[in-house]
Amino acid sequence: MAVIEVEHLDKVFRIPHEKRNTLFETLTGLLRPPVYETFHALKDINFTVDEGEMFGIIGENGSGKSTLLKIISRILVPTRGSVIARKSITPFLELGVGFNPDFTAAENVRIYGIIMGLTPRDINGKMDDILEFAGISQFRDTKLRNFSSGMQVRLAFSTAIQTNPQVLLLDEVLAVGDQEFQKKCLDELERFKREGVTIIFVSHDLESVKKHCVRTLLLNHGVQVMVGDTQEVVGRYEDVE
Amino acid sequence: MRIQHIKELYDYRNLIWVLAWTDFKERYKNSVLGFFWSLLEPLLMLAILYIVFSNLMKVQVEHYQLFLLQGIIMWSFFTRSTSGSLYAFKLKAQLVKKVYFPRDILVISSCITALLMSFFESIIFLAFLLFFMIPLSLNILYLPIVIFLYFIIALGTSLVLSALNVYYRDIQYIWALVLQVGFFATPVIYPLNVFPQYLQKILSYNPLAQVIFLGRDVTLYSKEPNLASFVFVIFIAVITLVIGYAIFLRLEPRFAEEL
Repeated sequence: MAVIEVEHLDKVFRIPHEKRNTLFETLTGLLRPPVYETFHALKDINFTVDEGEMFGIIGENGSGKSTLLKIISRILVPTRGSVIARKSITPFLELGVGFNPDFTAAENVRIYGIIMGLTPRDINGKMDDILEFAGISQFRDTKLRNFSSGMQVRLAFSTAIQTNPQVLLLDEVLAVGDQEFQKKCLDELERFKREGVTIIFVSHDLESVKKHCVRTLLLNHGVQVMVGDTQEVVGRYEDVE
Repeated sequence: MRIQHIKELYDYRNLIWVLAWTDFKERYKNSVLGFFWSLLEPLLMLAILYIVFSNLMKVQVEHYQLFLLQGIIMWSFFTRSTSGSLYAFKLKAQLVKKVYFPRDILVISSCITALLMSFFESIIFLAFLLFFMIPLSLNILYLPIVIFLYFIIALGTSLVLSALNVYYRDIQYIWALVLQVGFFATPVIYPLNVFPQYLQKILSYNPLAQVIFLGRDVTLYSKEPNLASFVFVIFIAVITLVIGYAIFLRLEPRFAEEL
């Protein structure tokens, strides 16, 4: 059964020539209609993702991958077309959103966990696991500002994976951290896959895509070039390059 | 659709609370005196206004300190909730761009933060009540209703302001001006009867004035709330909320692009 159905999806961004930032400018500019440059970020995208599938999205920078993920996760609204999601979606677009440097590690885990959809009870029960997985058990009450960026990312990832996602959107988040941490991340990804979580995986790392995804979508300048068997899609992508 | 939205807000109740509470905590995190700063501010304001108005202007009000303090606390709630909401999306732009949640959550939590601060300040008011041995009556049971209506008015106003401020940066300056005028157009520091009849009539159409009257009636004066004021305030609360949401929901879909 399809968990996500994307139909005739279009996204157009409007970029005004002169930006009217103030109410005053808008009122005085009412007589001259604003001139917009339009940027067609996504054109007629159609695909479905089945339950328990790991689905890849590849393409060059600026091809619309991140915009697509943001529309699926309801952060942006589509200009035309629709996205039907039959399960709740957990986006990992960026790790550590909402982290506050003035709060301690434990406090940040609480805030971030709730942003990611955990309940306070879940978080209290899993606090020790989270800190241990991030390798910072002894810094529980240290303010976040004293952490290295690597420690912060580890803390965010350890918290985020405690969610019980039904559909997971991953946008290059695995491209951070050292080798050892990346391996840990991939292990967690494998675990989610085994548990039957549907995953949409955006990556530049074609090897990972080939290894994990059965089907893949190739985007180029907002146009859907090809969707289907990963080997063929990646082959096509490499040909174009 | 509306019922669905309320249900969604309920699902996100933990987020609403954690945002409100962390904002409240963050305000005092790096100050030496911590939470006492928030008590010092209204006390100082009270002292200055009290000295000026009871000596220079000879305001004749029984228990003027309490009259003034309640006015200041209630007025501050409106200032803080609306000003806090104005910046809610600017300060939390990262959150809006990277995670989905119903966007009005940021406004609701800003208003709750303001409410928490007002509750905290009310400790002083309570101490004053005890100190001056003001008798309270059962009419104080109306207070939660008054607070609720006031919260709704502040929320409706904040929804409009926060959404407009995403698109137009001068809203914050305009609003600061409006608040300054509002402080004097609302009977915070003076009783209404210092004015001639026709001005009293005009000022009594100020919804915030009516809310403050209701607040003073049920606590300080141990009276039953004035029915006409009550009906007026309920009416205003409903109108503000409906208009607030109508404007907010129209502007909200493009927040993530505009920020």
